[in-house]
Amino acid sequence: MLRVSHTAVIITVAYSIAVILGSAISFAIFRSTSRPLEEDRSGVWSRRETTWLVIMIVTLFALLMGTIFYVPYGETAGPRGQVVRVVGVQYAWAIDAPQPIVTGRPVAFLARSRDVAHGVGVYNPSGPLIFQAQVVADHEQKIVHTFSEPGTYTVHCLEFCGAGHHLMSTTFEVKAA
Amino acid sequence: MIDEQDRAIARRLTVSYIVWSTIILAASGLLGVVMRLSQAVPQLRVGDNFWYAMMTAHGLGAFVGWAGFAVMGLAWWVLAGVGFPVRGFGLVMARLTWWLMVLGVLGVIITTIFMGFGASWVFLYPLPFYGSGNWGAWATGLFSFSVLLAGLAIVTWCFGILHTVMNREALQSVSGSIGKRLGLAFGWGFLMPRTFAAKKSVPYPVIPLTVIGLDMIIATLPLAGLLIWQIFESMGVVGSANDLLAKNILWWFGHPVVYLLLFPAVAVYYWLIPRYAGRDLVAGHVIAVAWTVAVIANVFVWAHHLYLDYPSGTAQAQINTAMQPITFALVLPSALSLYSLGFTIYRSRFRWTPASTALFFGLVGWLLAGLSGIVNATIALDVAIHNTLWIVGHFHHMAMLNIGLLIFGAVYALLPELSGKALYSERMAWIHVWITFVVGMIFFGIWLVQGLDGAPRRWSVLPSNYDTLTRISLPFAFILAAAQALFFWNVMQTLRGKGGIATFDERGIPEPSKVRKESSVHSIEAAVMIVALALALIFAVGGYLVGRDVASNKDDTPTTTAVETGGGGEGTVTGDAAAGAEVFASSSCSNCHTLEAAGATGTVGPSFDEKKPSEALVIDRVTNGLNAMPAYPQLDEQQIADVAAYVNESTK
Repeated sequence: MLRVSHTAVIITVAYSIAVILGSAISFAIFRSTSRPLEEDRSGVWSRRETTWLVIMIVTLFALLMGTIFYVPYGETAGPRGQVVRVVGVQYAWAIDAPQPIVTGRPVAFLARSRDVAHGVGVYNPSGPLIFQAQVVADHEQKIVHTFSEPGTYTVHCLEFCGAGHHLMSTTFEVKAA
Repeated sequence: MIDEQDRAIARRLTVSYIVWSTIILAASGLLGVVMRLSQAVPQLRVGDNFWYAMMTAHGLGAFVGWAGFAVMGLAWWVLAGVGFPVRGFGLVMARLTWWLMVLGVLGVIITTIFMGFGASWVFLYPLPFYGSGNWGAWATGLFSFSVLLAGLAIVTWCFGILHTVMNREALQSVSGSIGKRLGLAFGWGFLMPRTFAAKKSVPYPVIPLTVIGLDMIIATLPLAGLLIWQIFESMGVVGSANDLLAKNILWWFGHPVVYLLLFPAVAVYYWLIPRYAGRDLVAGHVIAVAWTVAVIANVFVWAHHLYLDYPSGTAQAQINTAMQPITFALVLPSALSLYSLGFTIYRSRFRWTPASTALFFGLVGWLLAGLSGIVNATIALDVAIHNTLWIVGHFHHMAMLNIGLLIFGAVYALLPELSGKALYSERMAWIHVWITFVVGMIFFGIWLVQGLDGAPRRWSVLPSNYDTLTRISLPFAFILAAAQALFFWNVMQTLRGKGGIATFDERGIPEPSKVRKESSVHSIEAAVMIVALALALIFAVGGYLVGRDVASNKDDTPTTTAVETGGGGEGTVTGDAAAGAEVFASSSCSNCHTLEAAGATGTVGPSFDEKKPSEALVIDRVTNGLNAMPAYPQLDEQQIADVAAYVNESTK
């Protein structure tokens, strides 16, 4: 079973392709110096830099349009939502779910910190990180997620909070609906 | 015009920055190796707070004290090289920068390593005031003051740079107005030659230096305000600041400071790559457009470090969303610069030396780190890698394999003209450059992989499922560190004149040392010796830390035994309830527990007023922890007995 989330798979594939392309271009530039050009083509290359700028703008705009609608902001759990309160302190989590959390229905995690900045990172039973958000003191952070599989989920702190940061973990159960 | 005296001044400035930044690299690099060693080998684990204090020193030391300081120093020589002398006010600022930076870094080392301040280099407010007894108000105040000095060093450097690049004679500006000279230095003469008129166009390296010179002033001043606030708060003069505002201010500085490394580095690339390629920089006027975008975008991208902060009732989510397109816009100066530098090398008569190879590898590192940066800049992807080791891999690729290799390349290329002495050993430089690039790619690449697997960042001890890769990466850390020892040795021998007098070819590229080595064994011997020394030093530090941990474990043993056998809390020490009240207050017990006597109202853990725990139970829980309740190894036997007595007394 794959240990990483879908987003991590997307990043792995995209970054690997980019690295292979980048390395190939770098190697080609390195090799090209063994057969130097006699005439000076700097003028042509300089003018084409504008074309390169246009290519870059179009590419980045496409990437922006392809990803900006997947931000985690402003989501709501809706009327069938389950509400779970999460409180972080140096160096522990308290997770307060009034009823058992079940799969298939959105869960609104309302997270707060009692002291310094913390990060709620939720890992699914087979290992990978599935979602996360930051928590600062005196602000309520809402994170919405719908669990698809039952099991024991782990929470790790994902914002550095002091000498016991790496001890700040806990678990919670998700039951089948 | 620039004369020999101006060149001598710039030379001294650059050498003084480079020498000190290299010493800081040695110190912070060693801390880095010890940190990875501690993660990989349980027997060599250092104390948790000490690990985080090292992390704080390593981050600030390597990023600002080495990479930042080094490129800030190179800037003076680049400016002199393109005809801009450092004079008058600019020179005063340049010298002041050196003092502020050296003192600031020293202060950071003292407050972290010796006073235990371990709130990380981003010291996310209000963490500096929540030391859990590991560090106190003094350490927080002094640390803030030290970082303030380093911040002021950046500001004075910026003033020095702006003063230098606005030299009317060097710009050959027709107008004397400040606005027109600044516009020329930004490269606007390429776009609007009539408005920004000059007898010759501005040298390309000047543009990125002007951009960062203006931006870092805008970026640093609010941080200085926050640091001054922290100093006053540590003295009890002012109350708490707003957490979310402080976090925004930190990143308002924290992002542009990355470009304090990159933009001067670009100036060095613009200056040196054409020299090795034997042709002018291939650049269209459009490059001025990209840098103009950079001036504005650079100070408006801070919130991409807060993508996962979107608390209800604040505008943070909207601010964050606006940051993604602005961050993408910042890709443009990098994309155009890489295009220009790539085509400058493409099919040129490029002279491959250790220096130019390091510069070329630096460009490759820039490309690969830039690509992983685009992942970080995309909110939908950031969710998977934010605060994981992926980020650590990304910025080590950037800092070491782009900026670092550029610094190494520039030192190999420029040390002969700066010192008048030939590089001691070209072979040693070849080995250093290749190992740094290849081993660095692997070592930092492992962080990328661990991060994609969800490994959290800034954990002194990683969850055990990441152990395999951590251990695999360890030998690479040692090799990388040992390769840097070759660099230190080579630079030292060069400055001692062991390579003879420097000579240069027709392009100004230094030629290999003409001093005949008795045999080629010589340099190999030196290499072996350096590697052995580096390893010995690392193991010595490791051995010391093991010894210390074993010693402290021994001290802990009686406590556990006493609790187990005594059963009634009547261990080898008797608790003092009055002293326990202080321990209770300073160990953040009140965050989770309710105890009326202490004014504690926490609801995370059990209420002491209701449960009335026995002294033995408190000693056991504080010593060993249970579920969410952590163990408190930072408290000694007496303190634990005291707090147990206090809780018991207060609930009778």
